[in-house]
Amino acid sequence: MSFEVNRRLVAKRSPLETDAVVDSVTAGIIRGAFETFCFETAIHLGRSASSAIINQSNERNASIIDAHGRLAGISVGIPQLLFISPLAVRWGLEHFEEDDWGPGDVFVGNDPDHGGGHLPDYTVYSPCFDADEKLVAIQAIQAHQGDTGGKDPGGFSVDSIDIFHEGMPIPVVKLVHRGVKRRDILDMIIRNNRLPSFPGDIAAMISAAQLGARLLGELVEKWGADVVRAAINWEIDDTERRFRQEVSRWPDGSYEADVWIDQDTAGNKDVHVHVACIVEGDQLTVDMTGCDDRPELVNVWNTLSNSRGYAMAQLVSMLDPFIIKNEGLFNAVEMIIPEGTIVQPPPNKPAALGAFHPACEIGEAICIALSKILPERSSPQVYKLGMPNAVIGFDEEGQMWMDQGVDVRSSDASATQGIDGWGSLCSGLGNLYLAQAEDAESRFPVINISREMTIDTGGAGRWRGQPGTLNVKQVLEPCTAMSWMVSIEHPLRGLCGGDDAGPYSNRFEVGSPNEYEVTGSVRADLPAGAVIAYQYGGGAGFEDPQLRDPDAVKQDVLDEYVSIGAARERYGVVLTGSAEECDVEVDEEGTRSLREKVAAERGAVAGGRGDEVE
Amino acid sequence: MTYRVGIDIGGTFTDFALLKDDSLVLEKTLSTPEDRSLAVLEGLEKLAAREALSLGDFLDKVEAIVHGTTIADNTLIEMNGAVTGLLTTEGFRDELELRRGYKEDIWDVRLLPPKPIAPRRRRLTVPERILADGSVRTALDEEAARKAVRRLKKQGVESVAISFLFSFVNPAHEKRVAEIVAEEMPEAQISISHQVLPRAPEFERTSTTVVNAYVGPRVTAYLDQLVERLDAAGYSRELLVMQSSGGVMTREYLRGSPIRILASGPAGGVVGGANFGVAKGAEDVLCVDMGGTSYDVAVVRGGTAPAETSWNWHHRYMVAVPMVKVETVGAGGGSICHVVSGALEVGPESAGADPGPVCYGGGGDRPTVTDANLILGLLSDDSEFAGGSFRLTRKGVDEAFEKYVAGPLGCSVEQAAFDSWRVVNANMTQAVRRSTAGKGIDPRDLTLLAYGGNGPVFAGIQAQDLGISRVLVPKASPTFSALGALTAQPSIDEERSYISEAGSADIARLRELWEELDVNAEKFFLSAGYDRKDITARYQLNLRYPGQNWSLTVDVKTAKGARDLSFVSEAMRANAIDRFHSNHENEYGHRREDERPEITGVRLATSVESPKPTFGAGFSAKQREATPVKLRRANLGDGYANTNIFSGPELEPGHVVTGPAIIEETFTTLVVYPGWRAILDDAGDYEITRTS
Repeated sequence: MSFEVNRRLVAKRSPLETDAVVDSVTAGIIRGAFETFCFETAIHLGRSASSAIINQSNERNASIIDAHGRLAGISVGIPQLLFISPLAVRWGLEHFEEDDWGPGDVFVGNDPDHGGGHLPDYTVYSPCFDADEKLVAIQAIQAHQGDTGGKDPGGFSVDSIDIFHEGMPIPVVKLVHRGVKRRDILDMIIRNNRLPSFPGDIAAMISAAQLGARLLGELVEKWGADVVRAAINWEIDDTERRFRQEVSRWPDGSYEADVWIDQDTAGNKDVHVHVACIVEGDQLTVDMTGCDDRPELVNVWNTLSNSRGYAMAQLVSMLDPFIIKNEGLFNAVEMIIPEGTIVQPPPNKPAALGAFHPACEIGEAICIALSKILPERSSPQVYKLGMPNAVIGFDEEGQMWMDQGVDVRSSDASATQGIDGWGSLCSGLGNLYLAQAEDAESRFPVINISREMTIDTGGAGRWRGQPGTLNVKQVLEPCTAMSWMVSIEHPLRGLCGGDDAGPYSNRFEVGSPNEYEVTGSVRADLPAGAVIAYQYGGGAGFEDPQLRDPDAVKQDVLDEYVSIGAARERYGVVLTGSAEECDVEVDEEGTRSLREKVAAERGAVAGGRGDEVE
Repeated sequence: MTYRVGIDIGGTFTDFALLKDDSLVLEKTLSTPEDRSLAVLEGLEKLAAREALSLGDFLDKVEAIVHGTTIADNTLIEMNGAVTGLLTTEGFRDELELRRGYKEDIWDVRLLPPKPIAPRRRRLTVPERILADGSVRTALDEEAARKAVRRLKKQGVESVAISFLFSFVNPAHEKRVAEIVAEEMPEAQISISHQVLPRAPEFERTSTTVVNAYVGPRVTAYLDQLVERLDAAGYSRELLVMQSSGGVMTREYLRGSPIRILASGPAGGVVGGANFGVAKGAEDVLCVDMGGTSYDVAVVRGGTAPAETSWNWHHRYMVAVPMVKVETVGAGGGSICHVVSGALEVGPESAGADPGPVCYGGGGDRPTVTDANLILGLLSDDSEFAGGSFRLTRKGVDEAFEKYVAGPLGCSVEQAAFDSWRVVNANMTQAVRRSTAGKGIDPRDLTLLAYGGNGPVFAGIQAQDLGISRVLVPKASPTFSALGALTAQPSIDEERSYISEAGSADIARLRELWEELDVNAEKFFLSAGYDRKDITARYQLNLRYPGQNWSLTVDVKTAKGARDLSFVSEAMRANAIDRFHSNHENEYGHRREDERPEITGVRLATSVESPKPTFGAGFSAKQREATPVKLRRANLGDGYANTNIFSGPELEPGHVVTGPAIIEETFTTLVVYPGWRAILDDAGDYEITRTS
């Protein structure tokens, strides 16, 4: 457990040994089968798992990893997390002989210091062997667990000093040996979890991994293991080739960006992420040198596996979406992730919250850096939400409950060139299904009072960010609420001259004499009947709002995304009438003169400052 | 002699299947999109003429007209439905737009949003709130509701959807607001969520209600007009309309939720497939319908086509009514073959009917699957195509493949065609696998049933890819969906939410909900002229383990005749729980004896047995090798070879065709691949099985 382990785990892996030669068509067919198996595996888990975050909100990710630990195929899931499973599996593979790998085995790992993301992300995996008992590939399925047996229920603690506060790290352990479940091990893992739904979840994960391994076995039988191996090699090479082909069309240069997180959970301010994207011919290097390394920082340590995954998810969103997602992506990019910084922490640092921040800021910084050369594909694939209000209680039998469905409505859905932000989240999180009030209120003692978008919280721009929602919730029984606020001072950044998104905010015990604003991190006991109100930030704007078509602004006002006042102040568009009366019209003359005035003022300011004016 | 007529209105053709006692007549007319009922009448006239009757005399003898249509789908494709507004609970204005976070492509930042049916300005909220137990937390603010209705009216809204939280438990507020809408906007159509889809959760129910409001006026107007025309022509019985659930029901029933006819065309084919399969001794059937632009896949198990109610995205909108699950991929005869960054791809873009494949000679210049089939010799340009309407031409086909596929890949034209054929095959195989996802279905246990114009060309190789050893191709395959509609039974399938720990579920409440469903269903059956004694009712419970989000439906009781709910008891409840544990083990490989399952709702599926086509079967005819009519150079997967060509219309029951061979039917072509042989059974349908 050291940086040495990390260096080994990320080292580039060689192609699989095979005598077979495949053509692109055969390789494509086998790759399609991998995607389908991942899809089947994920559906199987979603339908049978017990906790809302998996079965309702869809936080489960399936991937196929080859015998060398390379990502061979993925399907549904959260992009950032789909890229994480290989490192956890690589740790398992290092012990192939000692751990006596064989057909019908199922393993689990979640240790951030051994290739994992954060503790709640359990990777369960099962290998597939050929007729000669040689390993071909591994079906991995990863899902978020609602508890990890740490000091606080829920897997997240705002004051963790080290990983052991957060729960039990598992580098790798075998859950099923040659098809037989290991009762003692399962018993221990289940014992280290507070949630009564956990046994159901782990049972569902095991059967999903077994299903995937069985399907892989059938595929190997049909095509022959050597052909499957050759197909994996072909696809990985092809992805690298296509990625490099795109990079070679980008202008050479070094593109840099800095992003800050408001504070860590202890109140240390302005946690810094710096990224340089260097393009030289067909080689892209992502250099994170310069990221914060203050030892006193708390909870903003992102594991190496996550840092790679979040960086890659952003990069992939900026490529041709038809490029197949596999190890070839990582082969095409040089990543410099400095040891001892918040993007590759020293051992034993807490990892739960780091998987949100600075993980997302890595993606955001890459997006900002590359927006200079790839405006048409620039949209940050991030969530800037710190830790939104987690509500946890215990029922009369002492069993833990957590309203753990994904309550997010609209947040961080940013515009890109030519397209306003839309829907609830960026497309990179488009796989999460948001929890429903009718379901949550039938299970947990909560009432959802409101979850509507708040006017003017989307960043203004020639293309507008989607507004963020205000979630107001009442708890009916005493419980504990935890939260960590970021993105108040440093909200999601506007791109290419667009405005920043509206900031996040949070209030507890709303409407009572004890009402207060949460600005840092909090773990609070709430009395029965308490109301909490969490405002999500909106999406960021793209390009100068003064360039937005006045008719589009009028439509925004009719739809109450934008107020008449903001239309004037942010967009320079003068409107008459009101949304209420459905009679909004553009004052063409007023708009022209207002926009001219704004342009003149800007020119004067820029000229006076002596800044470069384009 | 009595007649029954099945009608399937598609984009290009309107298909008819006339059942005269046991014999079958097929007919086709061109669809008339501007007024679809015209093509229906024209086809009926053709059928009457074939029976040497006037239209009036013919219709007088017609016992039932069963009808499937894509009109609701077309409204969603063309986005020309009613101007729609939504009234919803305060605080929940945006659920519809946020789509539970769903985006169709998680990798593409340039994915465009769907066109909103009800944009935010036409989604207005009303202060009111009902809780999970049906109690009122916030009383309905009638004045605010009236104000919101007036704001919709000002925007020219024609159709109003009303969806409040927990209305399926307590619909009082929805009902009252519907009255207010009726007062303020007497012309508007009203869709109320507790009537359209009385179940949780709110996004699914609200979206379904809004889509219903959007397509409803067009569907209703169309059905009214069709009924009027049929009435004027002399048909006085009820028109039965195919539902997406696979059952048929009267126009009166559909008036409350016209959304239930969405995708009813493909559903007809699948229901027909289920019946066809049972007749041929195959209860587990993989139905594949390959047309010009798409490949539709559905799985029939145990002789029935199950309708699913969850997570049905249809044309980018969530529609959660029971739907026969059909997986569609863009793989059809018109799918375009092209090279993207060095990789060969087929579809989803299609040349459609206009310009069509290059070999149609209609001006198409991009190579398609049909063109590849022509190069491979699976189709030919020396005989008539599509029932003799035209001939294929080789002109320009090789050039198109050279330009778009062979050139970029650096291979021969024949290789390019062959690879295209392989890729489209692989795409279809993946679609099949997706349809079996999470279901524990092994395709090898299924019989493959192929129909549609292009289905029989690929059926054999599909079967080979999937490890399937038996393939069926109906003689009526080109109009199989219309025939399928005739096999569908009048049925109503509805559910009501009720969430409770199963072991302690309130027996009185269960009885009350089933009674409500039963009384409602009975009303529509009786008014359609059916007798209670003929109604079969399947009482079902939806169950899950605590925390699960997907329920399994468990059959509790099936009864025919008068309503008798005496079976609802504690013993029944215990029984249902046992059955759930074993169903869960079958579906998901494990059971959780130490967990206490929850009930999430009650469901009632009612139906009436009505006469339907009986598909013949059996192999009593003496088996003998058929005689080929000619030889053609063709590549059936193992390279080019001279291949026997048979003429379908000349084949008779008992005839055997051993692969490699090609059978040219009137509206379609069957390929018998090497290692397979086809036999015509006593009914004249093809059974193709492995010989090696």
